Amino acid sequence: MDILLGSLVSGLLLGMVLALVALGLTIIFGMMDIVNFAHGEFLMLGMYTGLLTSQATGLDPLFTLPVAALVGFLLGVLCYAGFVKYLLRGPMIAQLLGTFGLMLFLRNMALMLFGANDRSLQTGILVGKSFDIGSGIIVSATKLAVAVLAVLSFVAIWLLMNRTRFGKALTATALNRQGARYMGIPTERMNALAWGIGGGSVTVAGALIVNFWAVNPYVGLTFTMIAFTVVALGGFGSVPGAFFAGLVVGLITEIPGFWDFFAITFDIDWMSEVPMTSFKYMWIYVAYFVIMVVRPRGLFGWKQ
Amino acid sequence: MEAIKNALDFSDSPRLDRTVALLVLALFLVFPLFPHSAFAMATMIQFFMFALYGMGWNTIGGYGGQVDLGKAQYVGIGAYTTMVLLTRWDIPFWLSMPVGAALAVTWSFIIGYPLFKLKGHYFAIATIATSLVLKDLFEVWKFVGASRGLGVSPTKYSPPDFVRLIFREDVYYYYVILCFFVAGVLYMNWFRKSRLGFQLRSIKDNEDVARSLGINVHWAKIKTYAIATAFVSIVGSFHAVYIKNIEPEDTMSLDISILIALMAMLGGAGSLWGPIIGAGVLIPLKSYLKEWLGAKAGLVGIDLVLYGLIIMIISAFEPRGLWGIVEKTRRRKRI
Repeated sequence: MDILLGSLVSGLLLGMVLALVALGLTIIFGMMDIVNFAHGEFLMLGMYTGLLTSQATGLDPLFTLPVAALVGFLLGVLCYAGFVKYLLRGPMIAQLLGTFGLMLFLRNMALMLFGANDRSLQTGILVGKSFDIGSGIIVSATKLAVAVLAVLSFVAIWLLMNRTRFGKALTATALNRQGARYMGIPTERMNALAWGIGGGSVTVAGALIVNFWAVNPYVGLTFTMIAFTVVALGGFGSVPGAFFAGLVVGLITEIPGFWDFFAITFDIDWMSEVPMTSFKYMWIYVAYFVIMVVRPRGLFGWKQ
Repeated sequence: MEAIKNALDFSDSPRLDRTVALLVLALFLVFPLFPHSAFAMATMIQFFMFALYGMGWNTIGGYGGQVDLGKAQYVGIGAYTTMVLLTRWDIPFWLSMPVGAALAVTWSFIIGYPLFKLKGHYFAIATIATSLVLKDLFEVWKFVGASRGLGVSPTKYSPPDFVRLIFREDVYYYYVILCFFVAGVLYMNWFRKSRLGFQLRSIKDNEDVARSLGINVHWAKIKTYAIATAFVSIVGSFHAVYIKNIEPEDTMSLDISILIALMAMLGGAGSLWGPIIGAGVLIPLKSYLKEWLGAKAGLVGIDLVLYGLIIMIISAFEPRGLWGIVEKTRRRKRI
C-alpha cells in the first residue's frame, strides 16, 4: 500500500512540475499554433540561469526566479522577432525544422559555455529538505514548493487570458490572425508577447526544477516531448486542460511504481522481471500517440 | 516493360539537367580511381546513403506533403533485422534485406493507419513519438543487445564476401551503394510520373479536392508511407553491414529522422534532384565541420552550433530549398 500511495503522491507532485513546464508551450503551440522544438532548451537555459545566478550572487535559488523570468521573456521575444517570424511565412515544415535548428543551436551553445557535466545545487532553503506525511510517504520540500508555484502560475496565466484585454486580443489572434488584424490588433506584437510569456514561464519552471534536478545541456528533449504530450492531452489552447493533463502525465511517469505495487502485492513473477523503469518515458510517447488518434481535441480543447 | 521505359525516360527535364546528371554520374563512377583519403571515401558513402534516405522521405514528405519525422525507426528495423539474422543464423545480406524491408513495411502499415488520421504538425510529432517508443524498446530488448547494440567482426568471414556484403575495403561498399543509388533515382523517376505520384501531388495541394476527384486519400498516403519505409529500411540494412556495429542511439535517434527530412528540404522537397543535392551539400558539410572543428579542445559542440545555425537560416529564408532557387532563376530568365 505504501508503494501505491507513494507513487500516487510523487506522481501528482511531478505532474504539477510538468504542467508548469508545459504552460509556456500551451500558449506557443496550443494557442498560437507554432511548433517549438526548442521548448526544452528554454527550460535548460532557465535551469542554468537559476543555478548560475544563485552561485554568483549567493542568493537563495528561490530568489533567482525573477531573473530567470526576465531572461526567458527576452529570449522568447528575441527568438520570435529575430527568427520565428520568418519561419511563419514559409511552409509548415520550415517551422518544424527551423525550431529544431534553434534547439541544436541553443543546446550546443550551452555545451560550449557550460560544459557537458551534470551540475546541481548544493545549498538553498529547500534543497534536500523533505518531510514525512505519514505512512512512510516522503515529500520533498522543493517539489511541494514547485507544485504551489505551478498552481499560482496557472491561475495567473488563466486570469491573464480570460480577464484582461490583452488576453482577449491574444485569443483573437490565435483564433483568426487575419480577422484579428482587421480589428486593429497588432498581431505581430501579440505573437511576440506570446513567445515572451511562454519563454518566461518555462525558464521560471527551469529555475525551480534545478532545485531537485541536475542540469546538463542535454536535458531538453525529454521535457520537450513531455510538454507536447501535456499540451495534446489537455487540449490545444486550454490552460486549465494543461494543468490536469500535467497531473495525468505525472501519474504516467509513475507507471513503474504502480507496476511494482501490483507485482509485489499479487506476487506475480513475470511482472517483477520486466525492467519497467527503463520504459519510464516510453509511456509518455505512447500516451501522445493514443491521445492524438483517439481524441485529437484533448480533454478540454476548443481548437481542432 | 512500360514501367522500365518510364523510369529511364528523363525527357521532361531540361537538357542542361540531363547533361549535368550524366556528368555527375560519370564522376561518381570514376571517383575511386583517383587518389582520395579514407575520410573522403566514407563521406561519399554517407552521401549516397543519405541521398537514398532523402529520396524515400521525398515520396511521402515532398510529393505528399506529409512531414514525417520518424523515419529513423525504419532505419533501425532494417539494420537490426540484417544484423540479427547475420549474427545469429548467418543469413546473407541479400536475403535479410528483403526480410527487413517486409518487417518495416508491415510495421508501417500498422502504425500508418492511425497516423494518417492526423494532419500537419500533429502528424509530425506523432511520428516522432512512435520512433522514440521503438528506440526505447530496443534499448532494453536483450535479444538485440539492448543499449550496447550488436556487432559483427569482419575477421569471422573471408572478405570480400559478396553474399553477406562483408568487405575490408570501402571501395566495394562504394560501388554497391552506387548501384542502389542509381536504382533509387530510376525508381523515383518512375514514381513521380506514376498514378500514385499524381494522386499525391493533388493531395498535397488540396486534400478535399483530391477526395472529391475520387482519390482514396487515406490509402494513398499509407501506400506512399510504405514505399518510403521500404527505401529507408533497405539502406538501413546496408548501414548494418557497412558500419558493422549498430546501437539504438545511432540508428534510431531523433537526429537521424530530422537529418533525413532536412536532406530533402535543403535540396528542395518534391523534386527529383532535391534530396540528392541536399545530401551532397549537407553531408560533406557536416562531416568536415566535425573533422575540422569538433575535435578541437574547448570547442566541443561548435560544429553543431554552426549546423544548427545553417538549418535555421535555410528554413527561415529559403524553405523551398536549393532546387527552389534554381527553378526561380530559370523562370526569371525565360520571362
